[in-house]
Amino acid sequence: MKIVIAGGHSQAEFLISLFLNKKHKLTVINDDVPFCELISSTYKIPVINGDPSKEYILSEAGIDKADVLIALTPKDEDNFVICQYATKIFQVKRVICTVSNPSRVEVFKKLGLTNVLSATYMVAKYIEQTSTIENLVNTLSLEDEKVLLSEILIEETDTCINKKLLNIPLPKSTIISCIIRTDNIIIPNGQTVISAEDKLLIISTPENMPKALNVLKGREKK
Amino acid sequence: MFQKPKNIIIAGCGRLGSSLAGKLSQLGYHVIIIDKSEEAFRKLPDTFSGYQVVGDAANTEFLERIDIKNCFLFIATTNSDNANCLISQIAKNIYKVEKVYARLDDAEKQILIEDSEVEAIYPSLLSIEKFEKLSGITFKEDF
Repeated sequence: MKIVIAGGHSQAEFLISLFLNKKHKLTVINDDVPFCELISSTYKIPVINGDPSKEYILSEAGIDKADVLIALTPKDEDNFVICQYATKIFQVKRVICTVSNPSRVEVFKKLGLTNVLSATYMVAKYIEQTSTIENLVNTLSLEDEKVLLSEILIEETDTCINKKLLNIPLPKSTIISCIIRTDNIIIPNGQTVISAEDKLLIISTPENMPKALNVLKGREKK
Repeated sequence: MFQKPKNIIIAGCGRLGSSLAGKLSQLGYHVIIIDKSEEAFRKLPDTFSGYQVVGDAANTEFLERIDIKNCFLFIATTNSDNANCLISQIAKNIYKVEKVYARLDDAEKQILIEDSEVEAIYPSLLSIEKFEKLSGITFKEDF
């Protein structure tokens, strides 16, 4: 794939070494002369020094033949213009716009950019997903989010307290794979009784995980 | 009930923004001028009688707070072409402001906004036209 990286310093350098390892063809555009010198002396790739939000700089970088463009400049409006050029004028297939202000994600999408990324925005979404239920310590998604592994802490007020596992109506495709009680690891069976301060490791699907948490923590009241 | 919106929003209080703000408010328009820095408002002429607000014109929450939905004319005159491109498209495409103008120093950026009904003001082209008038030398169009 031919990838054009516009702007950015440390992120750009990280992506360059990552993509070069995967044998992609790269072109770098940057307005910072020392950075351009560093990159062209370190890697054997074309480096163009100039403002990437100018059409002639973009065409000099051969963007019309690029499969992917990534805009990494520190200014959101510059990234916006770069990505609009790439999408509207040069018909680049995949255009990725990074923004530093997370509220721009939705705005840029409304204005026609498809891939808008903000680190803060992603962190916020992650927190939103994981903090819907209190005491959900950690969630890990595996196999492209087809499987979730969640860690929850059981409190005295929860419905599953002092119940045997076989008496807890867990939804299908859900198992409690492990219980961490003080320092002991318990691989539970149907006779295992859950007590307060237990940490449960639950494996489930994204659809069933909320139901499982409801059953365990007792949030079925509607 | 259906009062026509009367506000004019000017983004960027530079030389163009501040003098337009002065002239428009002198004509009785309700003008809101925004800039990222308070300092910039010192350029406003004495004739200006509207609101001056410090804020980021590319921030939709801020625009809603200054009531962009009640605005019929929006002028993007910040010192960055890229910001003007973005701000004018926000005003036109998201808030459907009736008339939107953007000042672009780089006439090449026109292609980005031509399909969005934003009208651009090019100081460089205007200077060329003025030169033609003053000098009597006319440049033929390239096409």
